[in-house]
Amino acid sequence: MHAELIGLGAVVLVAGLLARAGRRAGLPTIPFYMLAGILLGPSTPGPVLIEHPDDISVLAALGLVLLLFHLGVEFPAEQVFGGGGRLFAAAGFYIALNVTSGLILGFTLGWGTREAFVVAGAVGISSSAIATKMLIELHRLTNAETPVILGIIVLEDLFLALYLALLSPVLAGSESTGEFVVDLLVSFGFLAVLFVVARYGAAAIGALIGSRENELLAILMVGLVVLVAGASEEFGVSDAIGALMIGLVISRTAVKERAESVVLPLRDVFAAVFFIAFGLSIDVAGLGAVAGAVAVAIAITFVANVAAGMVTARLFGFNQRAAVNIGLTVLGRGEFSLILATLAVTAGLDERIGPFVALYVLVLAVLAPILAANSGYLARLVPGRLLRSRYRYVRAETMSTACTHLDQIKVTTTDVDVCALCAETGDDWVQLRLCLACGYVGCCDDSPNKHTSAHHRATRHAIVESLEPGEGWRYCYVDEILVREPMGSSDSSAG
Amino acid sequence: MGQGVHVQELPGIGKRFDIDLGRAEQRISVVVRKNGSRDLYAFTTTSDEPSAVIELNSDQARKVAAVLTGTFFEA
Repeated sequence: MHAELIGLGAVVLVAGLLARAGRRAGLPTIPFYMLAGILLGPSTPGPVLIEHPDDISVLAALGLVLLLFHLGVEFPAEQVFGGGGRLFAAAGFYIALNVTSGLILGFTLGWGTREAFVVAGAVGISSSAIATKMLIELHRLTNAETPVILGIIVLEDLFLALYLALLSPVLAGSESTGEFVVDLLVSFGFLAVLFVVARYGAAAIGALIGSRENELLAILMVGLVVLVAGASEEFGVSDAIGALMIGLVISRTAVKERAESVVLPLRDVFAAVFFIAFGLSIDVAGLGAVAGAVAVAIAITFVANVAAGMVTARLFGFNQRAAVNIGLTVLGRGEFSLILATLAVTAGLDERIGPFVALYVLVLAVLAPILAANSGYLARLVPGRLLRSRYRYVRAETMSTACTHLDQIKVTTTDVDVCALCAETGDDWVQLRLCLACGYVGCCDDSPNKHTSAHHRATRHAIVESLEPGEGWRYCYVDEILVREPMGSSDSSAG
Repeated sequence: MGQGVHVQELPGIGKRFDIDLGRAEQRISVVVRKNGSRDLYAFTTTSDEPSAVIELNSDQARKVAAVLTGTFFEA
């Protein structure tokens, strides 16, 4: 017994120290926990603190259960469902694009159908933990795109519940189509039952575990969660989904806030053990064989994320920088990918899945914070015309632009409603732009003569405003970016 | 909420309060996280890059708030 404790204690301590060193460099913690498991496990030279991941399987399973439970408990239903249709469209597009490309990759790898579905989920669903931490650390909480990013990752969590329900019958590997349909019905039926419990039974569950003492709340809660997770497994639905759903139930009770804070340190510790156990199960010799597949997967994820960021920015009328920020912040992969890989390993799927997901998560977890911190460079490569047609003028936005030419604004209104140069030559124009430095009015870049751009080139005046009725957005030629007026500007503070 | 204070939900993090001080080059936003800590974003230019971000735990936030409201004096 004491030997096991020494091994477990040492590996957790090393994992924590590695993660702490990584945090100093601004990197997320999850890959370092996994790394500790790999380095101190049986497949690498050097000390082997734990011979086999099975030695800590119960603790690791508890970590997985608590991870998903906490996700359910903190699910901000009101904030998300109040977010409006655009958010659902943006998240839907993000998920569809990433999971579909992951599915195509999965089938192209040719490891099998069940494996393809695991790859699709592991590649398609981003890490909420990594994205949230990045937004806080990059000081982007006031950016216009940040609430949208957070909304997308929360909806991804919800999607995860549905995907797990789909995956359980897939992983069960039923012999016939009929058997598969039955498994699928059981899985979604179980999901539906828990949804009904969340809707109508939350008060009863709250009464069952809702002790005023935090000690008893923690014990009752952990007992209930582990029981439900185990029962789900018994029904042929994964323990992960049971934990997530019971979390959603408790998120609707009066003890939500306390439950969240009580379970958080438990989750952190046992989730770390889960990531370590995953690392232990990785055979380093298998990493080389999947390196090519991982490189392709990362390229696909990068392209899909940036594309989804562009679409989201169009939906919300954001500028290039916001578009790139969205794409790169949700690039990180972590806990969900590892959960899906663990389910695959448990179900006895192709053994290349483990090393593939491990390497993929390791690389992206390091790459995503670096790319997100430098999103400004990529934003400069994004052609503004992809987004410009959707620009709207948003007043009282705290901020949304890094344009530094706002002090050059001298003129904000005009009575001119023609492009003078076009009128001289008898040409037509599409829309009009007003130069905010001198009051020049000219035709836009969709017009044949593009007089406003010519005016900018001749005078270097930076900012123009659209005179199209109902638009009024401003564009800075120098920064090539949509400009929004910050809160507190002359006429926006009236409300 | 109040005049010139805009509340923005940040799902999974907490709430953001954008405080309109009447000048574009002088803005403050406060993020109240679920764990009680506060991020104080100060803007001294019209840019969207904050000039300073200070992370306060709930005790520190109370101290700053008490001084700001004028209910706390020493010397």
